[in-house]
Amino acid sequence: MQAPSPPTAPAGGIRTAGLCKRFGAHTALEPLDLTVEPGSVTGLIGPNGSGKSTMMRCLIGLVAPTQGRVWVDGVPLTGDGLAIRRRATYAPGEMGVYREMKGQAHLDWFLRGRDRETRRRARELASELGLPLERKVGMYSHGMKRQLVFAAAMAPDVPVRILDEITEGLDPSKRTQVTDVLARESGRGTTVLLSSHHFGEVDRVCQRVLFMQAGRLLEDTSAAAMRDRAARILRVSYAQPTDAAAIEQRWPAALGPRCSRREHTLVFELPSQDPRAALEFLAAQAETPREVRFGAHTLADLYQDLYGVEGT
Amino acid sequence: MARDLRYYTLYGLFLFLLLEALLYAAIHWWPAFSENMGALKAMAAPLPMLKDQITLVDKLGAPAYVVGQHYFKACNILGTNAAVLFAANAIAGEAHRGTLEVWLARPVSRLRLYSERFGMGMGAIFLAVLASSLTTPPLLRTVGARMHAWDLTLCSVYQTVFLGTFFAFTYALSARSGQPIKIAFFLLFFAIAQFAIYMVKTITHYSVFRWADIETFARIVATDTLPWTRVGVMLALQAVFFGIGYHWFRHRTP
Repeated sequence: MQAPSPPTAPAGGIRTAGLCKRFGAHTALEPLDLTVEPGSVTGLIGPNGSGKSTMMRCLIGLVAPTQGRVWVDGVPLTGDGLAIRRRATYAPGEMGVYREMKGQAHLDWFLRGRDRETRRRARELASELGLPLERKVGMYSHGMKRQLVFAAAMAPDVPVRILDEITEGLDPSKRTQVTDVLARESGRGTTVLLSSHHFGEVDRVCQRVLFMQAGRLLEDTSAAAMRDRAARILRVSYAQPTDAAAIEQRWPAALGPRCSRREHTLVFELPSQDPRAALEFLAAQAETPREVRFGAHTLADLYQDLYGVEGT
Repeated sequence: MARDLRYYTLYGLFLFLLLEALLYAAIHWWPAFSENMGALKAMAAPLPMLKDQITLVDKLGAPAYVVGQHYFKACNILGTNAAVLFAANAIAGEAHRGTLEVWLARPVSRLRLYSERFGMGMGAIFLAVLASSLTTPPLLRTVGARMHAWDLTLCSVYQTVFLGTFFAFTYALSARSGQPIKIAFFLLFFAIAQFAIYMVKTITHYSVFRWADIETFARIVATDTLPWTRVGVMLALQAVFFGIGYHWFRHRTP
């Protein structure tokens, strides 16, 4: 009998098998099996402490997994992960900088181990983002420091990029600039794993969305499916919580599952984007809704309704 | 690496300037041994350890005075402080200022990152001690005394091995901690306590400075060779501290 061949990941992709991380008694990441296809842009969404950063640090070799295996660009995580860091760039979510260094020198420092062409591209990108590279990084705002890290993570010609909350602290115009660069990158066939609290940018650049909470992967879906799901959400508010409770009791299962109830408000996921049957049911009830919303859900609303966690 | 090199060069230069200033002062105000020895012995009488050192200087002359001033006093005190401060900040400082993650995230192996700063720190100490030592012969000529550069080189190597043990121990702690100031205070108090213990005859044998006192350096000058057993023990300790520190560093989570 032939032994089964060991699992691997395709070149350019990311794969984990039973990846788990515990810090003492605390489990930061439950065993996770995940495959990120080469050339895809995947968004990782979850509240603080949901395990996103731990997972990304495990992928890049900064944190040794408690158990499980990791492959990036077909290369398994071994030792201190150097082979992976040569094939992937990483922008950390929490970061400090050397305040006494000038932007240009800091960019070169980030890019140690990369070639001259990469440093040139990083300078170009930093200029595109409007960073004053001749100034000391200590003079930079939080957002500018983030952009510097972003430029360093985007410049190397590698097949995989892992970006942890890269737009955190950026103003809307800079965030748009960054997502523009990400959208351009996705067109080049680079695999990007991006964590964020901003659903707008995930919606814009990601083909796939992973929802994490308390170290677990709650949902793995396409951005299009999430948008479709958001478009099927019906939110009904009542003046009295007792009215909401009564409607909840009488709601027919055939009209779609209830997602959540918070005192005055009920959230239902309808089976289609046609709300007529549900609205007819509500109109036939004695309780009069204070507000009915349909088709106006954003991904952030959906996430909050599904998991009770706020995003932006 | 260029940033690290620049910083350790500056640290080393600063240590060199301090050592050089003390050495210059010690030679500029050259004591007239024949006139002052009696007074010095009387002054040192209440401290038997100090009295022994003065006796040694009386017996051996200029070389004992130079090794006493430069190695036993200046290098031991300032060098230990420098070794502790260079090492305490090396890794714990990155965690303290929040740069550990970006430092580790680059495509450079942890062994290389760890070894580079270790090597640069040791190099800064060695070069500062050696460079200041090698200015001794020309300085001594101004007072009509002399010492061989080779003797001073041997003493510098030995002094570096001694200080390197402090450095390696502190560096290992730095690899585990995120609090460079606590590490530095702990080690500096330890060094001061060890120096104080050295001066108390009944417990002097518990002091690590017994291994870097005037007698030790005077013997190196007299025999033109290093005390290999001690050097071997200290290098072995450094290797152990390096290994333990690297083990901690390899498993360190940013």
